[in-house]
Amino acid sequence: MTPKKTISEAMTAHVEKADMDRRQFFITTGAVGGALVVGLGWPRRVEAVDVTTPAAPWYRESSAPEINAWIVVAPDDTVTIRIGQTELGQGVWTACAMMIAEELQCDWSKVRGEYASANRDAREKAPEWTLKNPAGPKPAPTDPRGGGGSGDLPATNERVSWSGVYRRMSTHRSGSVKMNLYFYQLAGAEARERLLLAAAERWNVPRSELTAKDSVITHAATGRTMRYGQVAARAAQLPHPHPETIRIKSAHEFTLMGTERHNLDVPSKVTGQAVYAIDVKVPGTLYACAKACPVWGGDVKSYNFNAIRNRPGVHSVVQFPRPDRGLIRDRQFSGGVAVVADSWWHAKTALDALPIEWDYPPYTHLNTENMQRALIEAMKAPGRELFQRGNVEQAMAGAARIVEATYDVPYLARARMEPGNATALVTDDRVDIWIGDQSPQETRFSASQIAGVPQENVYVHTTHLGGGFGRNGNGPQAEHAVMVAKALKGRPVKLQWTREEDWSVGTTYRAMGAAHLRAGLDPDGYPIAMDLRTAADRNAAAPERGLIPPAYFVPHLRTSNHFADFHVPCSTRRATGSPSNVFFVESFIEELAHAAGKDPYEYRRTLISRSTIVFKEDWLKALDMAAEMSGWGKPLPEGWARGIAIDDRRSNREEADVCTICAVVCTVSVSKAGAVRLERVDVAFDEGFGFVNPLSVRKQIEGQVAWGWNDAMHQAFTVKDGRMEQNNFHDFPVSRMREYPRDVNIRFFRTNHWLEGVGEEAMSQIPPAIVNAVFRVTGKRVRSLPLRKHDLNWA
Amino acid sequence: MAFALTVNGFRYVVDVEPETPLLWVLRDTLDLTGTKYGCGIGQCGACTVHVNGRAVRSCSLPIKAAAGATITTIEGLSVDGTHPVQLAWKQLDVPQCGYCQSGMIMATVALLQRTPAPTDDDIDDGVTNACRCGTYHRVRQAIHRAAALMSPSPSGSVEEKQ
Repeated sequence: MTPKKTISEAMTAHVEKADMDRRQFFITTGAVGGALVVGLGWPRRVEAVDVTTPAAPWYRESSAPEINAWIVVAPDDTVTIRIGQTELGQGVWTACAMMIAEELQCDWSKVRGEYASANRDAREKAPEWTLKNPAGPKPAPTDPRGGGGSGDLPATNERVSWSGVYRRMSTHRSGSVKMNLYFYQLAGAEARERLLLAAAERWNVPRSELTAKDSVITHAATGRTMRYGQVAARAAQLPHPHPETIRIKSAHEFTLMGTERHNLDVPSKVTGQAVYAIDVKVPGTLYACAKACPVWGGDVKSYNFNAIRNRPGVHSVVQFPRPDRGLIRDRQFSGGVAVVADSWWHAKTALDALPIEWDYPPYTHLNTENMQRALIEAMKAPGRELFQRGNVEQAMAGAARIVEATYDVPYLARARMEPGNATALVTDDRVDIWIGDQSPQETRFSASQIAGVPQENVYVHTTHLGGGFGRNGNGPQAEHAVMVAKALKGRPVKLQWTREEDWSVGTTYRAMGAAHLRAGLDPDGYPIAMDLRTAADRNAAAPERGLIPPAYFVPHLRTSNHFADFHVPCSTRRATGSPSNVFFVESFIEELAHAAGKDPYEYRRTLISRSTIVFKEDWLKALDMAAEMSGWGKPLPEGWARGIAIDDRRSNREEADVCTICAVVCTVSVSKAGAVRLERVDVAFDEGFGFVNPLSVRKQIEGQVAWGWNDAMHQAFTVKDGRMEQNNFHDFPVSRMREYPRDVNIRFFRTNHWLEGVGEEAMSQIPPAIVNAVFRVTGKRVRSLPLRKHDLNWA
Repeated sequence: MAFALTVNGFRYVVDVEPETPLLWVLRDTLDLTGTKYGCGIGQCGACTVHVNGRAVRSCSLPIKAAAGATITTIEGLSVDGTHPVQLAWKQLDVPQCGYCQSGMIMATVALLQRTPAPTDDDIDDGVTNACRCGTYHRVRQAIHRAAALMSPSPSGSVEEKQ
């Protein structure tokens, strides 16, 4: 028996180098990398950028002593806050800093952000005081101090340990506030406590006589003051206080959290200075452009390097294997080749010219139509029951009327703007990787496994991301970069996919799905029985959301998920399972209202009023608020109509207290020729106990309006011969200014529960609200997205 | 081949193949990484720069077609973010992920040079860049704000939505 290969052995790439003389290669490199500068002294280097450029957002050892792992206070009072979450546009760079600064009581204008170090996290255990939540191990969900149903952080799995110094460094599950709040608050409070203890020692007064505000410590009795910067060095030397002496504020004491703050990263993003992974240039970098087999699970059969070896700047071709599924959430990707050259353009154009023959996996017979049929078939089998009440079939038999419908939704890409890329440098005992990453701890694990070095020797230098939406941590750009860099040991390699590779081969998708929905109505038109079945890829993300159960009262109710096994890699895309299920349920409920001859808002209101759902009053509040904001019932011009939808995006019944209730009304116009325009959107949005930064929430909702519109109107990935047919903006449209509604109104309402999140809680309601409005104008019920494939003319 | 061009007021001579897109010359040869690669086919607008005063998608412009041209990139607008469009962008906290925003800002500057007080329809016609985060609501407000900031008469009307 041959011994099983290690991941590192299995994930070794094969290199073929160009015959190009070494000296000649460096001359070529010099010619490309070093432009001649003519004219006045231009201060900018045209050679490689120093990788510790001041704008770089990643972790650096501080010159000033740190108070704790999160906080460095410099003598000039500048506060550096290290953040475990990654900024992908959702505002966490600012919100995480606010959670810490609130407790630190520092001068907000002196705060700068920096990403925490995943390497330090591997080498240093979590300090004891971060393991103890003063609100208890599992705070009541109604306790605004740390929790949100996640008072206990899950322990560890093979890939990620949350026991390192920075605890949770993931940016997922809408968790940046709800899952981090307590230890971010603790980090701020612990540091404040030590600054105060250091000042008490300096003045020889009791700590209890001191107060802190805006980075100034005051001894009221004597009128003395001291700035944080003056006492920080001493505070850094003091022992950590006992965890139980660290007091966290109650919500009514907040002065920073809950106020609108401009995002800390915005100034760098209007000057082009913000550093994304694609902007990283390490001295001596080689550029790689990669292509993997377009049918997932495939590999390279052969390629002909001779065809490109004499092209300008070509250094080598690296053939890399399929990434180990254990490193990439058990998703299936392909093996492929990367062309390495002295510039990315040389690498990309050489790759375009490289003849490659693929070894296709047995999936090339699959296409959207036969996959869709498999989903419909799957719904005839029992499936995974999510909710069951009463006796659905018996009640259905006694119904006055049966309404039945089949729906479907396509695969969708996240389609973030920055194509996947990473720069990696592998040596015998160390890996450095520069990457915009939603899970640097997982990338640390991956890189360590591929390169065969301990996690303690992996340095993930986190950059800002050009969009995320669930993307990063869901696709093998880090694995590709480390495999290629390992093959070219000692040389930094910047691996960058083309847009086409990113969208059609390198990414994971929102699963294609279908639903079979059946309801039995009583003589008044209200449902007495409902059977809601949905089907999707087995690796679809959170297919239960929206079905566990819906908020509407139905005495006999059954909901279930059904699965088919496809080869297409699916995973978390913004709002995970909600956009599919909320489209199904909120369209179908409208079909029932129509069958009953009732107003869809009133119909929903009645069914929610009759239900026993948690926070029923808040549901009604949201529904009423959105209807009122939109002028529901008031006349509109011909061809215009309003559509409504609501959801709370709860993830499971055990944590029923964690949800974000949001109702949306879309006002739509449809021309007689069938052109749809989103005229106005009114959003009533759950504020829970309060937001960290209401400005960021507002921006997130504004963005979700565009997302919902794109999901409804434009976007679909379709499969042909086992691969995706779309690969760039020309065939996967992203809406522009012209289509964004001129009138968007957002109102918040306070509730008494933890929020599920704010970055994806409004978008799922928009497609059904649009489709419901389109029905009211055209009489056409669209049960298959996107809208653009339907003829919506009416006259 | 050597090509001369003026970028942000400085003259350069670059030695690259004639078909190399201007985008990659800016990013990889001249290290001006504020201009982004988004699609490579002239669709998304993340690579928008000014060539002889006009907004151009640099990913689809070969360097041979830009030879001798005067080019402005996001880095050339101001060194400290004080161009009125940048100021307006900061006041309205426009960017989310920010990746498309250099191109969006360059398209806006070109629009305001042509049309100093644009209507909403002018904006729809003039700024056709893609923003996946969906910042359009604030982009529109920021364009009106920038137009007001650049207006010679401070009493110039500011069309603004909530």
